[in-house]
Amino acid sequence: MVLNLLVGLPGDRPGGLLLSLIYFFASGAAALALGCAYAVLCVAFPRTSLPLQAATALLRGVPLILLVFLFAHVPWFVVGLAGLVALTVYSFGHVSEVLRSFLAAYPTAAAEQARLMGMSSVRDWLQLRMPWTLWRSWTALITHWVSLLKDTGALVILGIGELTTTAKVLSEVAANFEQWATTLVTAACLYLGATLALIQFVPFVAGKLFRILQQGQSTSSKAAERYA
Amino acid sequence: MVSGAELWVGIAGSLVLWVLSGTVAILLALILAAGSLSPNRPVRLLARASVNLTRGIPTSLFVIAAGVATMHLVSASDLPIVFPGTTAAFQPLAWAIMLALALGSAGHLAEIFRAARAALGSPRLEQAAVMGLSPMRHAVLIARECIAIALPPTGARLIHHLHNTAFAALFPVAELFGAIEGQASTTFRVFHFALLGCAIYAVLSGLTWLLFRLLEAALAPPVAQQARARLPAWS
Repeated sequence: MVLNLLVGLPGDRPGGLLLSLIYFFASGAAALALGCAYAVLCVAFPRTSLPLQAATALLRGVPLILLVFLFAHVPWFVVGLAGLVALTVYSFGHVSEVLRSFLAAYPTAAAEQARLMGMSSVRDWLQLRMPWTLWRSWTALITHWVSLLKDTGALVILGIGELTTTAKVLSEVAANFEQWATTLVTAACLYLGATLALIQFVPFVAGKLFRILQQGQSTSSKAAERYA
Repeated sequence: MVSGAELWVGIAGSLVLWVLSGTVAILLALILAAGSLSPNRPVRLLARASVNLTRGIPTSLFVIAAGVATMHLVSASDLPIVFPGTTAAFQPLAWAIMLALALGSAGHLAEIFRAARAALGSPRLEQAAVMGLSPMRHAVLIARECIAIALPPTGARLIHHLHNTAFAALFPVAELFGAIEGQASTTFRVFHFALLGCAIYAVLSGLTWLLFRLLEAALAPPVAQQARARLPAWS
């Protein structure tokens, strides 16, 4: 039972927790990249991007389960792709606003200093503003990612064999109450373990990456080190 | 034939689920937040563990557990019939799902309430403590001060909570997502109904946001209201 919850039912692997994590990482990374582009666009063109901002606000009002249902009926989408696109769109709706608000709060003094140092605007955005934004918004992003990891459970309506679906299938065919309870408690523990690991592990990796980035930049730009 | 009545029943079902489970979630969250601030260590640890447990487990899994357990274990009950469109036989199931939804949000709301109290800062909390008020009046005073901080994230969480009511569609409980799904598969006009569902949820979410903004304006602490009144109209 534990093996099935971890890697999926026989004949339907990868599944279970492994598939939940694959969906989580793929959609989270895609949404982060799209969110960065959105934030840059909205901060660079605050008035022109108003319709885009309004559309994103509307998107946040739609439940993930409905997005999953909607994308599942796009004719050229296979079930797995529909789930991935729905999760990405849902995550983008939240991540994009977090990044936009932090990027908009980038200190004017830092921007001025970069300009006086003769940095090109591409370098300014890529080496100073985006790392600063990502670093400052980290806590808010992790809160959303915890939610995203749990929300992969919405894929249950497509029958994609991730952890919630596997737990549902196993609990429905359980022979007795003990087996049923054990299945659901084990699934709950797996989710709990994964979210706690995410809360502990992601800031650790991010800290390491950021220090590497800072060391790399310190040879080329002292300003990056100062403001990051 | 497209049944508009079915959609209205779905909307009513979602709203009843949302209001009941939201109320239970807020009550549970207040208990958990109070417990996590308790000077008694075992109570504090128990409350913290409960908060982490409810925040770490997906609401979908809570709903599935409640649904499957009720279908296996409960045959009849005397619970009142309050969920519109759900047959009398499945009312206990709807009650169980309502509790599962409440449990799914209780931990998040408890953290919001705890953070709002912490945001007041120790000088203000100490000031309230030395005023010599009764425990009840002290709690009311702190709650009044916290409201302005806690309302925006509470509104955001309750919008998420509204979206989570859609998980009830996994069982025979009438609510909006189930109605949309049912209409879409009956008429084969999937995009029409999916977009209609998106619009209805967006409107309901917008109304929730508006309600909380109004509450924020009405329930802000007197000091904040006075400060706002002193601001010139053009600021």
